[in-house]
Amino acid sequence: MDLRYLLKELYYQRRRTLASIFGLSIGIALLIILNALSMAYREAARSPLKEIGADITVQRAGDVPEELTGAVFPCSAVTIRKEEVDKVQAIAGVQGVGRGLLLWVFDPDRATIALGIETENPIGPAILRSSITEGRFLEDGKPEALVEVAFARQFGIRVGDTLPLAGRKFPVVGIVDASRAAKIAVANVYLPLREMQEVAVSSRQLQSVSPFDPEDVNLLFVKAEQERIRDVATSLREIMGKKGQVATPDSFLKLLGSLFALSEKFTMAASLIAILVAALVAFKTMAGNVAERAREIGVLKAVGWAHRNVVAQLMAESVTQSIVAGILGLLIALAAAMGLRFMQVSIPIPWEMSPTPHFLPGGGDQIFKTLQLPVYIPRSLAAFAMLLSIVIGGMTGGLLGRHISRIKPSEVLRHE
Amino acid sequence: MSRSTILVGENLKKNYNGLQVVKGVSLAMEAGEFVSLVGKSGCGKTTLLSILSGLERPTEGKVTLNGKESTGASEDELALFRRENVGFIFQSFNLIPTLCAWENVALPLFPVKMAKGQMRKRATELLEMMEMGRRLNHLPSALSGGEKQRVAIARALVNRPKVIFADEPTGNLDSGTGEAIMDILSRLNREENVAIMMVTHDPEVAKKAERVIRMHDGEVLS
Repeated sequence: MDLRYLLKELYYQRRRTLASIFGLSIGIALLIILNALSMAYREAARSPLKEIGADITVQRAGDVPEELTGAVFPCSAVTIRKEEVDKVQAIAGVQGVGRGLLLWVFDPDRATIALGIETENPIGPAILRSSITEGRFLEDGKPEALVEVAFARQFGIRVGDTLPLAGRKFPVVGIVDASRAAKIAVANVYLPLREMQEVAVSSRQLQSVSPFDPEDVNLLFVKAEQERIRDVATSLREIMGKKGQVATPDSFLKLLGSLFALSEKFTMAASLIAILVAALVAFKTMAGNVAERAREIGVLKAVGWAHRNVVAQLMAESVTQSIVAGILGLLIALAAAMGLRFMQVSIPIPWEMSPTPHFLPGGGDQIFKTLQLPVYIPRSLAAFAMLLSIVIGGMTGGLLGRHISRIKPSEVLRHE
Repeated sequence: MSRSTILVGENLKKNYNGLQVVKGVSLAMEAGEFVSLVGKSGCGKTTLLSILSGLERPTEGKVTLNGKESTGASEDELALFRRENVGFIFQSFNLIPTLCAWENVALPLFPVKMAKGQMRKRATELLEMMEMGRRLNHLPSALSGGEKQRVAIARALVNRPKVIFADEPTGNLDSGTGEAIMDILSRLNREENVAIMMVTHDPEVAKKAERVIRMHDGEVLS
């Protein structure tokens, strides 16, 4: 292979060189950006669960209580037994479990959504610790309450007040802005789990819908190994039975409704088409180039170039073009990714995951988690695309070179 | 002084789709000899030149050049055989349009393991010999017909061939330039002792050779 000949050929035939470089680079850019978009949607779909420190949430649907008095279960979250929690913790791939107990409390003067949380568990709503706007976070073992800022404003509740709830009284130790944190299992009042369990155990209304023991809960937040999330979700569905509701990043992906989010197969098919079209464009342009150079190839062979010399020269030319195309494609994809990062996605949070009585203000409103699309190009994807570009260039050059170098010099060099 | 035989063709035949273009031609050429192959268009002279130079295989017969038989060789062996023994000059020059004059001259050396500096030196020497020293870095598109043919002659000489095969070397040139090119070929033949076999249909050009071989309808007449 002669480098000087290669560079001169590409330079002096620049229209053709640019055509094949642009053709291939567009395909490479499409491949990268389609996959980056797909990954971005997947990452976005993880965010509602990620911000609560979990990968999966588990609930069980139940019956609507006959009377809305005292503490009741929302119909989307009834009892999860302690034995079931133990089984969940034992599933292979589960790294940790956070527990919660969400109740609707209908006192004579107001309705409250109250959530019992494990104050020291980083998996689950204890993540609110970072969203305290006034006072302090809950301390384990103490019967005290945190109040959500909007609820506190509505009812004039302040730190140091005493909050009556389901016939009990809790000192308010802090105000929390839950809107800064997760959109899942959002409540008006937060209590230590133990306190909430006592409220639930003593509620006849609640026990009549779904029997509840002191160690039971109605929300689970599961942290799992990323590559085993689907297997863990399957095991969870088996444990929870027919009425179990298991939410994974895939559940949110389906709610996003984008083609990229809906199907990995779509992304794969679109990427494949992009790269096939790019390869065909590159092949066609290079084939045209090589066909036009039949006489030149004949001269090379006449003056003593062997088959392998011709193939190596043509392959080097196409590999050089494919490297440039790969770099250009990567730059185009990087620019596109920067642009796409300004795109916002709104992930609808199912009512069941943050149940609010419909008759309360905003109770029927759809909650969305809105975020900027986290489009980025991982090194592995960039490296794969570069490699693919080089392979396409190598194969194109090799195939065309093998074909054209079979030419007989005497056939193309006969004078006119 | 007696000269050794450099090229022998024995009973050479060439068929294309049942049509016999070369009909049992036998000829020999001595080292340093200048032979012209003349005949009407389509009489088979270019085909015979291609067979003798190893560009094409005969349907029947045998070619021996510099003591080596080329007819049974593979394509790659033939390419190597051409690189080591043969130089070509074509009517339409067949220079690579993207390479400058010295690179075109060095083209046969590109697959050879040789330093670029050496290649350039050899090419420059030859181009200077062709009075083209000032045109080393010019692309073929910037050269006249005569200059292109001088570059082609330098390319034919770069590998120090035993025989140069020239196919209508003046065919695309005006008479004055053609005359100058023939003078160069004659000088090379005399001074460098390179054997030249030249195909032409021009009797005046053919007269420049020591020996004229006439072809008619695929056969050698004299």
